[in-house]
Amino acid sequence: MSSKFDAGKVAEIHQHLHSHLPSESALRVKALETLLVDRGLVNPQTIDAWVEAYTDQIGPKRGARVVARAWKDAEYKKRLLQDAPAAIDELGYLGKATAHLKVVENTDQVHNLVVCTLCSCYPFSILGVAPAWYKAAAYRSRAVRDPRGVLAEFGVTIDDDIEVRVWDSTAELRYLVLPQCPPGAEDMSEDALTELVSRNSMIGTDRNLVKS
Amino acid sequence: MDGIHDLGGKQGYGPIEVDTDETPFHHDWEAREWGLAQSARTPGITIDWWRHCRELIAPEDYLGRPYFDSWAQTDFATYIEAGWMTLEDIGRFDAVGVGAEDDPPPALSLQQVLQEDHSHAFRFDAEIEADPLFAVGQEVITASHGHAGHTRLPQYARGRRGTIQACNGAHVFPDLSASGIEIHQYCYSVMFTADELWAEASGSRDKVFLDLWESYLAGDNE
Repeated sequence: MSSKFDAGKVAEIHQHLHSHLPSESALRVKALETLLVDRGLVNPQTIDAWVEAYTDQIGPKRGARVVARAWKDAEYKKRLLQDAPAAIDELGYLGKATAHLKVVENTDQVHNLVVCTLCSCYPFSILGVAPAWYKAAAYRSRAVRDPRGVLAEFGVTIDDDIEVRVWDSTAELRYLVLPQCPPGAEDMSEDALTELVSRNSMIGTDRNLVKS
Repeated sequence: MDGIHDLGGKQGYGPIEVDTDETPFHHDWEAREWGLAQSARTPGITIDWWRHCRELIAPEDYLGRPYFDSWAQTDFATYIEAGWMTLEDIGRFDAVGVGAEDDPPPALSLQQVLQEDHSHAFRFDAEIEADPLFAVGQEVITASHGHAGHTRLPQYARGRRGTIQACNGAHVFPDLSASGIEIHQYCYSVMFTADELWAEASGSRDKVFLDLWESYLAGDNE
């Protein structure tokens, strides 16, 4: 079986791109968009729509809604832990990179942390665009080796008797951490609870959410 | 490949730039690149081939250029490799920007894009005839070596003993998908103790889970 693609050629292209691309990020992306638009391959208004979708519609507010519902509704939580793609689709949130979503639950004894050491896999349709630190070398290199040190930099101290479970997203499975409901917040409405759920708590770099 | 992208466990990258800001884009060009990447895909491209093209970026660019910039560079490479554009085109892009050579595809509205995102919940699993080689709870050992192409067994987890935590079904095998060849193979969640992976984690109660394909694993008969 021979490859449809030419990796040697791409390695060579990258060597050329190293010196031939415009000098700044903004100019490089502008060059790319201009070339694609000129060739009739992309409509700039479609790019606008994607940007709007991931700025105003798709983002961590969706994940927060899923978490708040799981806190309020034990049956929903059960479905979420058993079949997360189906459970998020009840809210219309199934989409890019979430067809093989798994939800991992924090407890008094367990803390979960999600990383992608090989690239930057992330459950886009429920958390939106990944934060810069998630995609950076410092987090990707250290999360699997020194998770407690990483968490300490986020201001999260994990007691010695709590087990840290790191999930390295090496396949098409994606992970969402289900944080614990803040003490005393159980009676709040689902809408109010969504405000307490931070993006970082759903990646695992935040743990002790507070009732505001 | 044992490339610059395989960062798990590497040392010297410094502290995390902690950020609780939930703004998706911090520069307009980041947003444009995000939108471009959703809108323009070359025929027959697979996620694994795209990832491999990103891994092939020169190490100094991979580490030195901003994240979405590396997406742009990866896109350039896939578009050039597929014949959509040439290296020479990039040098004169501002000259061709005066008028479109071809009519653009129809503009998608926000509602259409949201619908497309929903339909992009791609599944990578399929039923296959073979039964899984490994059972939940079984001890396995990972392959000791990688290869020059794309693979999803990171260096830090090679030649290590783990325990099958779950069978995720048969998923598209990335090492061949990066060559445009689609076969399905069982993919397992495998649990490793931190002290199996890292000398300094001796006595730790912590665990690391990876999703690994059958080809990466052998039964641990020791």
